[in-house]
Amino acid sequence: MIDRITQIQDEIKQATTVNINSEWLNYSGVQEYFSEELVITVKASTPIAEICNVLAKNDQVLPFYIEDKNQSIGAAYAIGAEDLSDSVLGVQIIDGTGELLNFGGQVMKNVAGYDVARLLVGSAGKLAAITQISFKVMPKSYVNNLKTSIKTDQHSALRLEIERRLKTVFDPNGIFN
Amino acid sequence: MSIIQELSHVLPKGIVLTGEEDTRPFECDGLSVYRQKPLAVVLPETIEQIKQVLKICKASNTPVVTRGAGTGLAGGAMPLEKSIVLGLSKLNQVKHIDVDKQLAVVEPGVRNIAISEAVASYGLYYAPDPSSQIACSIGGNVAENSGGVHCLKYGLTVHNVEAVKILTIDGEELILSRSDQGLGLLALMNGSEGLLGVIVEITVKLTKTPNLARVVMAGFDSVRDCANAVADIIKAGVIPAGLEMMDSFAIEAAEGFAQVGYPLDAQALLLCELDGTEAEVRSELDVVLKVLSGASSIKVSDNEQERLDLWKGRKSAFPAVGRLSPDYYCMDGTIPRRHLADMLEKINQLSKKYQLRVANVFHAGDGNLHPLILYDANIEGELERTEEFGTEILKLSVDMGGSITGEHGVGVEKLDAMCHQFNNKELEIFHKIKAVFDPESLLNPGKAVPELHRCAELGAMHVHHGQLPHPELERF
Repeated sequence: MIDRITQIQDEIKQATTVNINSEWLNYSGVQEYFSEELVITVKASTPIAEICNVLAKNDQVLPFYIEDKNQSIGAAYAIGAEDLSDSVLGVQIIDGTGELLNFGGQVMKNVAGYDVARLLVGSAGKLAAITQISFKVMPKSYVNNLKTSIKTDQHSALRLEIERRLKTVFDPNGIFN
Repeated sequence: MSIIQELSHVLPKGIVLTGEEDTRPFECDGLSVYRQKPLAVVLPETIEQIKQVLKICKASNTPVVTRGAGTGLAGGAMPLEKSIVLGLSKLNQVKHIDVDKQLAVVEPGVRNIAISEAVASYGLYYAPDPSSQIACSIGGNVAENSGGVHCLKYGLTVHNVEAVKILTIDGEELILSRSDQGLGLLALMNGSEGLLGVIVEITVKLTKTPNLARVVMAGFDSVRDCANAVADIIKAGVIPAGLEMMDSFAIEAAEGFAQVGYPLDAQALLLCELDGTEAEVRSELDVVLKVLSGASSIKVSDNEQERLDLWKGRKSAFPAVGRLSPDYYCMDGTIPRRHLADMLEKINQLSKKYQLRVANVFHAGDGNLHPLILYDANIEGELERTEEFGTEILKLSVDMGGSITGEHGVGVEKLDAMCHQFNNKELEIFHKIKAVFDPESLLNPGKAVPELHRCAELGAMHVHHGQLPHPELERF
């Protein structure tokens, strides 16, 4: 049996356009959870509510504001929800050429290479297919007063140009819409 | 006109240094085994002057190595033969403090501890505390995404920065903030080691100073018991402000140096700091003391002086080890906490294999290891043997699911180890990200990310994310 990751890679390699969303990705579930490490690794289509339930068994939580628990974790990552970025430790992605790549990891401290795992937070599915994400989690008692934050999209021409060029790094053929 | 003439022409007197005596102090950073004198050292006083420097360097294709306080431990600020050093130490003003929002706007040359000192009267401080905090600069902290003792609870630099202003190689200003919709460019800038832009202003988050902090010191008869205690504290739902571990050699060295009453008969020592309100500290202390009931000795600080004394040994561990050996080499791997005891055992085996002593000091709470390998650079071949030993530790860190560097950065030191942590496709992405910001590769070129041919030449068997190619094959 061919695994889902290989299938996604093949689909991307053959596609001229792809609209990434949780249904298309169809890759769900908690991959690994080490409560004493404060780390959970989840597949991107996993509903946030499911992750919260798993964590709740050890009185742990995702330490960022969650707008909608029915959303998938990949969707929250893609829109750059609140302070989610602070909790990201690593990602597994498939880029626009179908390559499977890993950035960051499952440890709290990691400064090897550019922080691609946090760069892609807010990438709205336009740079790469995010397949798996590792998060730092916290005991419930340490997380309080989570608030929604207000973001601005008033960007300078220079920033827009940098974002445009960064897209071509991950998706040189422009297949992710 | 030469680049030096051009720079001297546009900048006020005293800003461009070229003489042997003036540039020699800039030939290395905290990793002094690698040295190189630059063409010139430029110490601008304003952002406008930095823009002028960048324009001249860009036009003449001259590499720029940006430098903060030069305390980095990976050679990130080591000059290149044909580069200038852009030292930002003169931009050292705290420009604005917003007490209500708990933010401070600072110039890059402000020392880490100077931020906390500037806001102390408001009951605030800047949380990340790399051990060089009395000297290191905030600009350098952002460039390296520096950590410290309190990361587990209070985060790394990236978690404590609200916004940065950078200059691109073209001298254009770009402000990156947490409130930006879109890609995580602010996070990308943290830890980018001076390869993407020049950080000229930082807005940092300030943290409320806790009412109380107490530290628990626990000695253990076995390293494994101590490592297990680390996991058990977290499992019990406590996030200590600091959680540090030392092995017997490090205990001995630190006690010999600081004389603070560390248990010399212990195989491992744990320092666990708890902070918050009095009630919070009391309830955490109850839990921690229960978890640590298997320790061979326990001491809890009763007042601030005792707390500082207990930390003094740990904080002086590096100079203490320096007293025992002409040179030492500090590693910075990170591993998942559950492998701490195994890692220590393996380091001890390697110590025997390479016939080099090691003192182990860990930020145990976040799995960040600082083995200090003792060597003597005057003995021929000993530095090379030390580096080989270090490389083996870093490979082990990656194979256990960790990283080659937790907080010191790659610089020039860990370029080979990068080949072990990332495959060619991932390294290519890094190179392309650099090219987005700096297509001619003038900002700190050759650092942080190895060229692909370098990795190919290393010819190391590539183990990626713990998986060997063809795992079915036996290997010896």
